Amino acid sequence: MLEIKSLTLDIGSERILRDINLKVAAGEVLALCGESGAGKTSLGLTVMGLMAGQVQGEVIFQGRNLLPLAEEEWRRLRGREMAMVLQNTDDALNPVLSVGAQLLEAVLAHGLFDRAAAVLRVEELLAQVGLPEHKCNSYPHQLSGGERARVLLAMALANDPALLILDEPTAAVDTITKAELLSLIKAISPGRAVLLITHDLAAAAVAARIAVMYGGTLVEVGTTPAVLSDPRHPYTRGLLRSFPNMTTVKDLQGIGGEGGRAPGCPFHPRCTQRLALCGHKIPALQLREDRWLACHRGGIVPLLQMRNLGKAFDGQWAVAGVDLTLQEGESLAVVGETGSGKTTLARMIMNLLPPDCGQVERDASLADGAVQMVFQHPRASVSHRFSALEIVREPLDIKGILADRDEIARAMIAEVHLPVDAAFLARYPHQLSGGELQRLVLARALVLEPKVLVADEPTSALDASTQAKILRLIMALQEKRGLALLLITHDLALARKVCDRAAVMLQGRIVEEGPAQSVFTQPSHPYTKAMVQHAPQLTGVLPSPLPGAAGTASGGCPFWPRCPESLVVCREVNPPLVADGQLRIACHLVSGQGSLAG
Amino acid sequence: MHINYWQELTHHREGQIGLVLLGILAGIALLAPILAPWDPLYERDMAFLAPSLRHLLGTNDVGQDIFSRLLYGARSSLCLAVLAGAGATALSLLIGGTAGLIGGLYDRVVLRCIDALLCIPMLLVLILVAGYLTPSFFSLVLILTCLMWPGGARVVRAETLSLRSELHITAARSFGARWPYLLRRHILPDLAPILLANFVAVARRAVFMEAGLAFLGIGDPMVVSWGMMIRQALRFTYLDAWVWWLLPPGLALACTVAAFAYLGNILTGVLHPRHEGGHTHA
Repeated sequence: MLEIKSLTLDIGSERILRDINLKVAAGEVLALCGESGAGKTSLGLTVMGLMAGQVQGEVIFQGRNLLPLAEEEWRRLRGREMAMVLQNTDDALNPVLSVGAQLLEAVLAHGLFDRAAAVLRVEELLAQVGLPEHKCNSYPHQLSGGERARVLLAMALANDPALLILDEPTAAVDTITKAELLSLIKAISPGRAVLLITHDLAAAAVAARIAVMYGGTLVEVGTTPAVLSDPRHPYTRGLLRSFPNMTTVKDLQGIGGEGGRAPGCPFHPRCTQRLALCGHKIPALQLREDRWLACHRGGIVPLLQMRNLGKAFDGQWAVAGVDLTLQEGESLAVVGETGSGKTTLARMIMNLLPPDCGQVERDASLADGAVQMVFQHPRASVSHRFSALEIVREPLDIKGILADRDEIARAMIAEVHLPVDAAFLARYPHQLSGGELQRLVLARALVLEPKVLVADEPTSALDASTQAKILRLIMALQEKRGLALLLITHDLALARKVCDRAAVMLQGRIVEEGPAQSVFTQPSHPYTKAMVQHAPQLTGVLPSPLPGAAGTASGGCPFWPRCPESLVVCREVNPPLVADGQLRIACHLVSGQGSLAG
Repeated sequence: MHINYWQELTHHREGQIGLVLLGILAGIALLAPILAPWDPLYERDMAFLAPSLRHLLGTNDVGQDIFSRLLYGARSSLCLAVLAGAGATALSLLIGGTAGLIGGLYDRVVLRCIDALLCIPMLLVLILVAGYLTPSFFSLVLILTCLMWPGGARVVRAETLSLRSELHITAARSFGARWPYLLRRHILPDLAPILLANFVAVARRAVFMEAGLAFLGIGDPMVVSWGMMIRQALRFTYLDAWVWWLLPPGLALACTVAAFAYLGNILTGVLHPRHEGGHTHA
């Protein structure tokens, strides 16, 4: 239906759109997302031929390139074959004419209907957009924002256009009206191509596909479920992290830096995984697996890949065949009860313990010292002979970075919000509070500017308010530096607020892994369910105890003695970890249901 | 746990006594040539003189000034204590430390050797060895060193082993620290108090041991030592001379051993607070 090829738009010397390639099929809703100033509206207006500027490339609509057309021909197309609902609903309607009169004007504009048919068409349109017939006589100021949006939609639909461009149709309406408008948009989409321009990801979620724009270029295009549940471009992930919604459970995080256009990849000044290349070469939009991406690094990079990682102590597997990936800039929680192998896993990642099987692959971009760890007990993890400054300086001393080492350490101490006066820097660990020491240990782990931080129960020794401050600090540093966080904790409530993804460990194996919201709000594995039930609640209601005792299984699934739903097969066979979309689950109940359904 | 060892020593009565005694002894040892009125080996005066202003503690059977010999005795006793203590502690550190760090077969072999050495009755070996070799002062130091390292090595090994898995060392390793750095900044500083306690204990035993050997007639006759003086004096207990000949070196010996024992007690108490109790940790 609509195909945009290598579209470039310049206004004066400024390049507004750069090399846009996009297709919208008939009957498809494509959402165009991005921050303000990304060029979404400019693209819509260019397709409508309403943008003043130097346009290059092709806009192929119904088989012909529109760009060479004369204004006269454009005008015949607009409102008839293609229509656009502009962003500001207040300005688009004429305040001195009734709604009916304005609709009638739109219907008559192309001379497709005679007057009697046009009146019928107006009634039909009002019904189509869900407005009662008497609203016909209302003036725009008498209508609510939602009703005005419907009127505009009705006007756009007047001549049944094949292409409909909607620019922020749901901006500034309440959620219930928004939902009604979105279902209306879905209802009118059959048979026509709909380009839905929005910064509202919840609105975009109704589209079949999503195209993400940044700085006048497309950075990621893919099917909606794929893009929203597994964003591959760092910008898309940043948008999702900053978007308040009821699906994800992590605290809001913004995108560091300010939007704008830059040479090379437009996003590179704000990108936490940029290379030198990104600063001067524009990445092309390329098909990668299930979507199109414009990124020199092929999307978000997997920094650490654990493959079949295992460690045995005295013949007992503490960690048994763990496959896990940590992506650049994400937080991954590894949750599990005491003794589930979490700390052993962390030590293998840190090369502090040699694995007995498998390996941890580090991305080639990770320099020496790019993976650092915060240990479980801050007080034990520092030498009591070191002063505060010496503690933070230690990694620099070890790496032989002696020039400016005190200044670097001091800057880092300031970054974790600790005082940097001489009196504080000269203090010894026994003169510091738990919270101060935890910050100091965090500063020590970050002083080499790592890309990956492995945090083993970083706050388990702290009171809740100190813990909250430390976690906010970690999240702020993550946003600023693009730190990938592997958070090891037994505290689900905490992991839920901090992490993008979660992996649940049970006796050295991962039994459930996936996006944090799935794991924490719709747990699939009975062990995860039990942990979620036992997570801190303010209701005072204690969950019913689990049937058996831990560690009594001699074979099969390690959880079966405590599992309220265990089957006979659970006592015999340890279920393998089976992938199901974004989730991976090791449970006979789930895989059994899967095979029944399949 | 942050402990100021100096403060621990000076804040306890035992520590104060130990330090004062040791200070006096060290002063005497250092200043012996100035303090002593006579050459300790000078033999031309009358034998068995009673104490007088000329000879504060009289003279012995060959006419040597006993007071001068007493002062010079402090020299040899402390010298021996320090050398044997340092030697045995260094050997303990080297062998015990490497066993703890390297582990594996080496550790097991070392541990068995230590056990074997600890089983040997030390005095017997000393008597045999010294009897055959008629030792000089330095060979005595060497023999004592070789016999007294195993106990310390055992302690150092155990401590190193537990230090190795300490979180602050693991943390330093996670920043890429290698063994030289870990030894210098983490392991040796943490071993220091144990080494100090070991040094004091070995020194105390060395002083005692030397006296015992000298008493048995094993030792360098050219070196003035308290043990030798006691041995010589014992042959003349039927004379009144024992009061100023036998008692003073005996008391000096007791003071030295007591000084080391007091210091050792405090240090052990600080290192193992539960054994003693009552020590304050600053």
